[in-house]
Amino acid sequence: MSLLKPFSKLPGLNSANILLVESEEQFQQSLADALVEETTFTVNVRLAKSLPLPVENEESRPRIDLVVFIINLTSELSLQSAEASLKCLDPGYFLGKVCFMVTNARSAAAPVERLDVARKLAASLHCPLLFAEDQTPDGVTNATERLLTILKVAAGLVPMATALYLSNLTRSTVPPDIEQPSFN
Amino acid sequence: MAEVKLGGQAAAELSEAAQGELMEQCEEQFAQLEKLQNEMILCEPECCENPQEQAVNRLMATEAELKQWLTVEPELLISNSEVLLQAGKEEMLKLCSELEMVVSCHEAKRDKLRETKELEQKWLEEKKQALIAANDHVERLQTEKGKLSEQSILQDTKAKIQKMKVYHERLMEALGDVLEKHVPPPQNESAANRKKKNITQELHKDLISLNEILELLMNKVLNTPHDPYVTVDDTFWPPYTEMLLRYGIAVRHQGNNFKIRLETFC
Repeated sequence: MSLLKPFSKLPGLNSANILLVESEEQFQQSLADALVEETTFTVNVRLAKSLPLPVENEESRPRIDLVVFIINLTSELSLQSAEASLKCLDPGYFLGKVCFMVTNARSAAAPVERLDVARKLAASLHCPLLFAEDQTPDGVTNATERLLTILKVAAGLVPMATALYLSNLTRSTVPPDIEQPSFN
Repeated sequence: MAEVKLGGQAAAELSEAAQGELMEQCEEQFAQLEKLQNEMILCEPECCENPQEQAVNRLMATEAELKQWLTVEPELLISNSEVLLQAGKEEMLKLCSELEMVVSCHEAKRDKLRETKELEQKWLEEKKQALIAANDHVERLQTEKGKLSEQSILQDTKAKIQKMKVYHERLMEALGDVLEKHVPPPQNESAANRKKKNITQELHKDLISLNEILELLMNKVLNTPHDPYVTVDDTFWPPYTEMLLRYGIAVRHQGNNFKIRLETFC
């Protein structure tokens, strides 16, 4: 099993590379289309169903600046797949170069416990947890903007800011009462 | 990285000497980057799955970063003034456009707030007027209360009752006059009409006048409001009944043709 490493390759000039991991491959395409429209710097989007990435593309693959796990809350498989994929990431990525994006959090079909699991997962890895709406164009635009903000920092395009610095401020935290059932 | 990027953008409009100098610095930076990269690849970190260890890792990395920020000293991008001017210009332009966006955003916000303020002021004005009116009313009521004694209220009410009585009397008199003048009792009518005397004689015996019919109707309405109907019997002269019904003074019972009541005049 080959680990994906954050600093194994030289960075490209004025460009940023983002890897979208989604087991169901529903949201990543529209998100990728919106991401590459950014004009101030080159955004390379890589899509994957799960990690590890195939070995044959190893040479042509650029250095990945940000790994985004897209979790569809209505599917248990989506969460499990993300959890399994996490093991194929170098620990260096967890210093600000990973984030979780949750979709369908408002859906009635999504159990509350699954959201709690996702939050605990993000909190235990000190990663930001973003919520996105994948059905409407507005939702996709919003999600894109939020990802680009993180990506810019993670790719080192923002002077005086580093991924670690940003993630210390944006990382997900678990509310203290999540373990206890509420009585009201 | 940021420095290299900035330099590359600015180079487009620079003199050759400056451009050369910039390129040289870019190369230098890139060489340093490569060196660091190689160092990084060489020192493979030990893998850790444990979240506890990861938290420790994170703490160490954050501390290292903090230390670096503390020790870093601001240094000039490049000594060439031409490049600095260009870079400064670009930054300024960027800042300007960003500030313009902030201004327009704030202007929109201000306009909206102004609108809200006007609405609120209008509302406040209305409320103030309502308050003034209510206060006036309270004051008036209090002064009246101070002025009025039990005796005077009694007197007032008595005067009002008297006035109503007089008015009632006048109305009744007027009604009586009109009826006497235009609607004489049926006996006279039949007496005048002598040709039919033999036919209608029996019927006319105990016919009542229109005054009495009206009185009956009115009394019935006032005494038993729940059942205002009066039964039409032989004492009602049919033409009078017909007239009352036709001109909308009386109404027939819906289920019983022999019952009528006074129209509700209100």
